[in-house]
Amino acid sequence: MASTEATGAAGMQFGIFTVGDVTPDPATGHTPTEAERIRATVAIARKAEEVGLDVFATGEHHNPPFVPSSPTTLLAYLAAQTERIILSTSTTLITTNDPVKIAEDFSVLQHLSGGRTDVMLGRGNIGPVYPWFGQDIRQAIPLTVENYGLLRRLWREETVDWEGKFRSALQGFTLAPRPLDDIPPFVWHASIRTPEIAELAAYFGDGFFANHIFWPASHTRELVSLYRRRFAHYGHGTPEQAVVGLGGQVFMRPNSQDAVNEFRPYFDNAPVYGHGPSLEEFTRQTPLTVGSPAEVIEKTLGFREYVGDYQRQLFLIDHAGLPVKTVLEQLDLLGEEVVPVLRREFAKDRPAGTPAGPTHASLLRAREDATDEGDAEAR
Amino acid sequence: MKITIISGGLREPSSTRLLADRLAAAVTRELEAQGEPVELSFVELRPLAHPIMDAMLTGFTGEALDTAFETIAGADGVIAVTPAFNASFSGLFKSFFDVLPEETLSDMPVLIAASGGTERHSLVLEHALRPMFSYLHAIVSPRPVYAATSDFGTQDGAGLGARINAAAADFSRLLRACGPRTRETQEDADLATMRGLLGGS
Repeated sequence: MASTEATGAAGMQFGIFTVGDVTPDPATGHTPTEAERIRATVAIARKAEEVGLDVFATGEHHNPPFVPSSPTTLLAYLAAQTERIILSTSTTLITTNDPVKIAEDFSVLQHLSGGRTDVMLGRGNIGPVYPWFGQDIRQAIPLTVENYGLLRRLWREETVDWEGKFRSALQGFTLAPRPLDDIPPFVWHASIRTPEIAELAAYFGDGFFANHIFWPASHTRELVSLYRRRFAHYGHGTPEQAVVGLGGQVFMRPNSQDAVNEFRPYFDNAPVYGHGPSLEEFTRQTPLTVGSPAEVIEKTLGFREYVGDYQRQLFLIDHAGLPVKTVLEQLDLLGEEVVPVLRREFAKDRPAGTPAGPTHASLLRAREDATDEGDAEAR
Repeated sequence: MKITIISGGLREPSSTRLLADRLAAAVTRELEAQGEPVELSFVELRPLAHPIMDAMLTGFTGEALDTAFETIAGADGVIAVTPAFNASFSGLFKSFFDVLPEETLSDMPVLIAASGGTERHSLVLEHALRPMFSYLHAIVSPRPVYAATSDFGTQDGAGLGARINAAAADFSRLLRACGPRTRETQEDADLATMRGLLGGS
């Protein structure tokens, strides 16, 4: 918590998010074992804290070639290995996980980590995962709404009577353990391109996280603008008070051309966009930056121009078969050269009243402030 | 009346484009004769081949494809012409419609046509093109046109000119009956569903 506190009231949070893919290294042909990949993820998360980042988030996947099928197991291990960094997800599947289990897992994680926990909800990347957990992809959106409605109640209400379409009813159910300090983990709703998710985040006044990796900036601009508009519409504050997070993808070397040369085989063979557009086309069309730390700083500062002042920036740095040594070097560059400048520059001209990145401590303070106001009214 | 012509010919000059041009001219004549001004725009698929494949692989589209999609979405009618390859439309032609945003052709009057080496393949219009456009919720004009090498060989002598004129007459009646097209955005429909689920407004 200390690090995010240290960023001050205007603080933006910076971190990394991982997909957890086991991909052959195209430069060497080496494919890590699952054990190696999981150990690498731990090393990467610890290093992220060491270099002063604020957030580490893991994806959730239930099929090869991915390893993070049990995110709270990983995050609880990391909680024991770290002191300050916020442990989050990118994303937790609100469609196929039982909301009761999500509520329990993250409640326990909150207690273990001393409140260094939040959660990003998403719907998953492939259809077949739904039947593995007894669900139906055709119901993805209604499932999202129903499951999240229940999750909210489990974290907020002592005793829950609930009935829905997709799971058995609950009678007098009490979540154990209760959330730490009765403050539910902060929730982000994540989307690559689905405006309904922006609407969902706005309706509840939760955070909205735009993937911002695979699609052009114009899509992100529209999604965030919709979310901000609707956040205000639903009475949670001004559009500028909405809580926005962005993904991003970078590869850096001190010399720009070295970065391009080294990253090209990873780009060309990357699972999601490989064998398609060229690296140059893709960097022009999407937020991907391959170059020097100065170029990463310049492009990242530009994000604010189309989404407004925002709260959390997560970078993807460990996919497509990049060796763990290289990833740790990326973290050194992020921590030493990039993030300090981003913190300073993003803080400039940041309007008063722009929310800081949410932490357990900030949510606790907000509740105390609200209670004080309530008392004042009562008197 | 705004009409967009989608031509999937691969070569320059292209017999597919030639057929497309003749259909466009015939439809223009027909509509203008009835006092309906016509505005034509062309979407050639060959220059879009790489962007189409990139869109398939990345899931997003660049500027060139977005412009083409916007042209089609803003049209009142579409003339779609492909070469016949291996008893079907060309892969490029199909790929373009695979990346075209869903519902772009909903309620769109469409005149289908194909060109090929021999008239023995003319049923690709009925077996490949018509089902695809029906699936896309287009209103497919009843009389399509197939042009074989032999048609071009005879200098418009016997059948092709007459078939083009007949198809253009049908399509023009369809366009006039449908009138100017109103666009609905899918996003509005999706958000309306979401707002319903949330009980919001």
